Amino acid sequence: MSLSFAPSATSKMLRSVVPKCQQQAAAVAAARQSSRRFLSTTTTARTQPCRPTAAVSQRCNSGAQQQQPRRYKHKTVEEAKSRYRTGPFSWKAGALFVLTGGGLVWYFEFEKQRMQRKRVAEATKGVGRPKVGGDFELVDQNGKPFSSADLRGRYSLVYFGFTHCPDICPEELDKMAQMFDLVEAERPGALVPVFVTCDPQRDDPATLKTYLSEFHPRFVGLTGTYEQIKDICKAYRVYFSTPRDAKPGVDYLVDHSIYFYLMDPEGDFVEALGRQHSPDDAAKVILGHVKDWRGRIKQ
Amino acid sequence: MGVFDYFSSAESKRAEEVRKGAVAPDRSERKRCWEARDSFYGCLDKHNVIDSLNGDGKKTAEKECTAENKQFEQDCAAAWVTYFKKFRVADYQKKKTFERLEKEGANKM
Repeated sequence: MSLSFAPSATSKMLRSVVPKCQQQAAAVAAARQSSRRFLSTTTTARTQPCRPTAAVSQRCNSGAQQQQPRRYKHKTVEEAKSRYRTGPFSWKAGALFVLTGGGLVWYFEFEKQRMQRKRVAEATKGVGRPKVGGDFELVDQNGKPFSSADLRGRYSLVYFGFTHCPDICPEELDKMAQMFDLVEAERPGALVPVFVTCDPQRDDPATLKTYLSEFHPRFVGLTGTYEQIKDICKAYRVYFSTPRDAKPGVDYLVDHSIYFYLMDPEGDFVEALGRQHSPDDAAKVILGHVKDWRGRIKQ
Repeated sequence: MGVFDYFSSAESKRAEEVRKGAVAPDRSERKRCWEARDSFYGCLDKHNVIDSLNGDGKKTAEKECTAENKQFEQDCAAAWVTYFKKFRVADYQKKKTFERLEKEGANKM
């Protein structure tokens, strides 16, 4: 209703102001009533014949031209078109794309590695699987009792060996010292390096103390009776070949497994690190697990 | 004189203990032993001997590498000398096996 009413009011007003345009205005009003779309066309049709003087017409035209640049930022059609010459691509869009893409790739890789570590850590935790590790009661290199409870709350890296070891153990212990230093640099106190002897008969606390002090002052050396050592080796699934009743003065070597056992703060086995891991690789693996740990780690 | 004598005898006593396996060698003693082992291995390599404990290898080693062997036995625990001599054979066989497997087209895991 209002649509049809407004044009007729305008046409009345036009008729009273400019009588010459009466005929046209009537036609305009009729046209307006038919459709809203004609409103703009009829407005131009209305102003042009109704201009009484050239001056007025000039003013009208110049006013319209002055308003045009305000509505469109560009002076020419070419200029307006050129805004879209590159389409939606600009260096800003490119940078945003690269940043977002890079961020997503990094996040994906990070999550993937985390899931991988989680899988490794949990694969050995599952119910019904053979458990590696367990409780023990031994003696440290200072002659003080040391049990599995002393390792709770921190990650521990357990290595089995013996002081008379000809080549592999010393190399591996040097490696272990490097790994420990690398981990210690990033997460102080999160890891305890433990050396358990497979040769308790010859490796008493004093011998362990002198031996381990050459590798790292922070190493914990553990020894005990033959039975105790046999039990811990069994718990950690370590093979060893120490003769039970070796006579004093008879030299022998011990064959044993040469893995580093990474145990979590609850005493559960996480991962075995072997000779294929360089100290850097091993430290990275350990740090990965340490960072994944949601519980508290003693400082 | 007396002091030097004391030191040298303490040193040789320690070396004797290491050889017998009564005490575990320390870092420098291990290093010395490994050097003696490497020079012995070097001599064996020169004469194409793998097994210096049995058969022709033993004969050649005894004939050609007497000095190296003596040094080796002096710087290392007796048990280590045997271990390293056996290890050389085992290591060689391991290498051979790997080569053979590779030739057969085995995949590395």
